[in-house]
Amino acid sequence: MNNIYLITKREFLTQVKKRSFILLTLLAPLMIIGFGAVIGLMFKANESHNVIEVVDNSGLFKGQLKSNDKLEYVFVPAADEKSKIKNLKGNESLDGILILPQIASQNFDDLEKNTRLVVNTKIGLDTKQRIISDISNAIKKEKIKQLGIAESQLDNLDKNFELKTINVSEDNKEDSDLAFGVKTGLSLGLMYVTFMFIIIYGVRVMRSVLEEKNNRVVEIIISSVKPFELMMGKILGVTMVALTQFIIWITMSVIGALVLNTGFSSIQKNIPGGNAEVSDKLDIAQIATQVSHSLLDLNFPLIIFVFIVFFLLGYIFYSSIYAAIGSAVDNETETQQFTLFAILPLTLGMYGSFSLMNNPDGPLGFWLSIIPFTSPVAMIARIPYGVPAWEIALSIFLLLATTIFMIFLAGKIYRVGILMYGNKATLKEIWKWIRS
Amino acid sequence: MLKAEHITKTYNAGKKIALDDFSIHVPKGSIYGLLGPNGAGKTSFIRIINQITQADSGDVFINGEKLNPNHIKDIGYMPEERGLYKNMSVGDQILYFGELKGMKKNDALNEAKKWFDKLHIDQWWKKKLSELSKGMAQKIQFVVTVLHRPHLLILDEPFSGFDPVNANLIKDQIIELKNNGTTIILSTHRMESVEEMCDYVALIDNSKKIIDGRVFDVREKFKKNIFGITLSDVNNEQLQNFQNKYEIFNLSEQNNLISFDLKNTVNQNDILLDLVQAGKVRSFEEKIPSMNEVFINAVGNHS
Repeated sequence: MNNIYLITKREFLTQVKKRSFILLTLLAPLMIIGFGAVIGLMFKANESHNVIEVVDNSGLFKGQLKSNDKLEYVFVPAADEKSKIKNLKGNESLDGILILPQIASQNFDDLEKNTRLVVNTKIGLDTKQRIISDISNAIKKEKIKQLGIAESQLDNLDKNFELKTINVSEDNKEDSDLAFGVKTGLSLGLMYVTFMFIIIYGVRVMRSVLEEKNNRVVEIIISSVKPFELMMGKILGVTMVALTQFIIWITMSVIGALVLNTGFSSIQKNIPGGNAEVSDKLDIAQIATQVSHSLLDLNFPLIIFVFIVFFLLGYIFYSSIYAAIGSAVDNETETQQFTLFAILPLTLGMYGSFSLMNNPDGPLGFWLSIIPFTSPVAMIARIPYGVPAWEIALSIFLLLATTIFMIFLAGKIYRVGILMYGNKATLKEIWKWIRS
Repeated sequence: MLKAEHITKTYNAGKKIALDDFSIHVPKGSIYGLLGPNGAGKTSFIRIINQITQADSGDVFINGEKLNPNHIKDIGYMPEERGLYKNMSVGDQILYFGELKGMKKNDALNEAKKWFDKLHIDQWWKKKLSELSKGMAQKIQFVVTVLHRPHLLILDEPFSGFDPVNANLIKDQIIELKNNGTTIILSTHRMESVEEMCDYVALIDNSKKIIDGRVFDVREKFKKNIFGITLSDVNNEQLQNFQNKYEIFNLSEQNNLISFDLKNTVNQNDILLDLVQAGKVRSFEEKIPSMNEVFINAVGNHS
């Protein structure tokens, strides 16, 4: 046991002390944030604020064309029309003049024909679409008014139908679409994290095994410790590295979120926004509360428990495969055909889990989350939706048993493989090592 | 100290035999040479002692006790395939290997300091291995091997990679260790180091032990009663008589000195009596085969 501890410690310290590890750990979140900020900025930079003067000869549109922060309507008296157009040339504070003609006997076709937008710069497609929809909305309202229908009646017509789903097996909890979406998001996130960590750090175990083999240091270590201890120490060491990176990133995002949050709320207070803006903000706040409520509704202790168990077991399961691969080959280019064995089932589990999102309790979901090769990702993907206890227990039991078996198998391959130099083992040879 | 009895080891399900009924006895406090061509089975035997692999049959005893995991801490092993961690500092590395052998950190530190002084490498402690030359790395490797004060030291080709100066330095350290009671098994095919250092030797060829014993005895066993003789002031007539009486070959003359070899069949003192008639005896020496000749002879006869 002491040897495993020593090997784990060395593996952990050398990997964590590497400059590349420190840089990646500290910079990766900053890079992601920076990348997001750049994309956001790019969108922001392309946004423009257009001021359009409206000459409304028909008198129908006053109060119907509403300004927002991208497009501002300024109604001007009809008499000024010609001088205004003259004035438009070279006027930087004004982008265009919308001229709406007089309307005779509700002839809206005529209105369309005679409506003009005079501009002095190129107006974006967005802005143009916005103006068109504002006008047609106003016309639609006018037409409806002529049909003798009140606005409130109209609103009533438009009301959405909300289907309330009640899940009887979960204490009659109401399962809204939003809650389902939140679960899907959580499920996808956890699944991706598991998948990426298993692959990235599994390969690291393999590299570390190969490094010792190529350095020939392995024979010296093997004369002091059992091959099995070396392998386990390596896997555990890399696990600690993964967890360290994971914890640092989570801490960084929590701190980042806290800092950003206070930043946002102070900005909100400073803006004396219009009506529309207030309702927008309210919606976001509402959604945020609902999201956090749905999150809080989830059985977090269970999710965290299942995540940790499956993450660790799955990781150790696949790492031992990677360790065996590393010991059986001589350099990294030779690993490819073998790593397929490790990546394929995991990928299968992940893509299978995408379809599982539609129907978490279906037969596919069941089998993917029971079979040990795919269960580390599939069970984690399924858990936010709720999984019967016996399925979790069965899956953990199977995964644990297979993991122990795989470690045993990998240990056998590893024991022979690490002392074979100069040639790549064939599958037939590996089979022999396992049987010996 | 170490006794191996009837060790047999095969690979590939019995198809390849690495050791065949191999037995040796290594006395305490001696340097024991394992000699043999590449692939003879030396490394297989060493790996069995180190418990890296198991023998198919046969037993190894250390101090009368059957080989078991407790012995690992008592053995220092320097494999032929050297290797250390490239990205680790020399100091961390040495402490790590010391701790793996069950040493306390402070103990390992003190012992390492001692060796670093002895080998004049005390300024390397913080360097990374990748910054050192091959010869320097070999010295570190040696320190790693002996750090935990093993009672049994197994060195597989210890001098490969050393320049002559450092090879001598290491040789002196090995002999000092032996004088302090460490038993040393030296596996090599460099015969001159065997002659210089080893007390005992075993020759392995083709998975079998051909001969073993004290280096002196082994060489004696292979001697062919040949004497090398050099004479000056030769009396040609007497020399002719001498030549008629004995079997002489490799006759050569240089600077008025006559040298030849002689195959002896009688008491060598009788030869001397005859020789003094033929001229002044400048040298008279029985030719004992070098380990190299023993090796070539033994392996050649065998295969």
